Amino acid sequence: MKARIILASVLIPLGLIIAAVPENTTKPYKLTAGQLLEEVKSGTQFIGPDQVADMIISKDPSLQLIDVRSAAEYDQFRLPNAMNIPLVDILNPEWEGYVNQDVKLNVFYSNGTNAANEAWMITRQLGYKNNYVLQGGLNYWVETVMNPEAPESASPNEEFLKYNLRTGAGMALGGKAVDTAQPLEAPSAPKPSVQKKERKKGVQGGC
Amino acid sequence: MGPLIVNGIISENTNLFLAFIIGIGFGFVLESNGFSSSRRLAGMFYGYDTTVLKVFFTAALVGAVGLLFMSLFHWIDLSYIYINPTYLWSTLGGGVIMGAGFILGGYCPGTSFCAASIGKIDALAFIGGMFIGIFIFAEGYPLWENFYYAKFLGAPLLSDMLGASRGLLTLLVILVALGMFWVGEWAERRFARDDYTLNQ
Repeated sequence: MKARIILASVLIPLGLIIAAVPENTTKPYKLTAGQLLEEVKSGTQFIGPDQVADMIISKDPSLQLIDVRSAAEYDQFRLPNAMNIPLVDILNPEWEGYVNQDVKLNVFYSNGTNAANEAWMITRQLGYKNNYVLQGGLNYWVETVMNPEAPESASPNEEFLKYNLRTGAGMALGGKAVDTAQPLEAPSAPKPSVQKKERKKGVQGGC
Repeated sequence: MGPLIVNGIISENTNLFLAFIIGIGFGFVLESNGFSSSRRLAGMFYGYDTTVLKVFFTAALVGAVGLLFMSLFHWIDLSYIYINPTYLWSTLGGGVIMGAGFILGGYCPGTSFCAASIGKIDALAFIGGMFIGIFIFAEGYPLWENFYYAKFLGAPLLSDMLGASRGLLTLLVILVALGMFWVGEWAERRFARDDYTLNQ
């Protein structure tokens, strides 16, 4: 009897307070400058061209390449199934569903890494996840995947393995003998549908 | 700040370790409330002992109020909290099976382990039955797979359905719970049993 009165006198005022205050809907998760600097220093945003090539060839549905160059450059040459979000448009609400999502692995790329890195920094600072930068950009991509250099005959086995992988990938993507001045044959890139946010699966429990 | 694991404040392994500690705490609270007694648990259905209702509802209220206050103080981001998805028919079917097993066996899964750990034979039999049930479910899965996934509702919230804020709904649940505690204690007097002791 007494316990119930104590319980009621604690829970009812707390309930009244929580019912009266406005709901906290702000997203507190934003990176501070210091946290961002830590991530930049460790370079975790980079994803190597080999891994991207591998994902393209295996038609990994989780990969979403995002070309942050201008539309004109995008029309001239692009990676397979890449979509175009020019850097100046990165904060356009139209694209928010693509850059702020939990489902796909976004890889930003530009000619070098500057524009892609800037796109990554802006989105990362907002707390968006799953955005990465193609290491070395398109220039390095052409150098490594499209026209890989044969290793020296005395190189370690891993070098040969890497070379074989790259020539394979390059051929599968229509490279090797490609003249980079020519626009590459790229399949038309259909716009992928906006992915709804999915809740993360967590541990389940019960009584 | 929170949830700790999502924001990388603790690792996956630390998380498991904390779960282990919390699990022991859960078991301790169950046992100290007499939940290792099948008479106390079955009493919920006959009305002579409503401790189960009071303990679990109090725990739920403390959790709800605590989470809302932590969200208010920006200590936790509620959008990261995992909510078990609802498959309507399997929820209802599972509830009926679980309730029937609860009355028949006098335990629910958690309390049966609690009672087994203090050496109760009937709890061991209950756990054996539970494993038989798991085996039947797993082996016959193709038969009830459609039923299992039927009528998926996502993760609906009562507050969204009623169009109320979470805080207001919590206040309502607090009032309803206190009313239920009162009814429960009335039932304890009404259906009191002379021969009832917690442990035989």
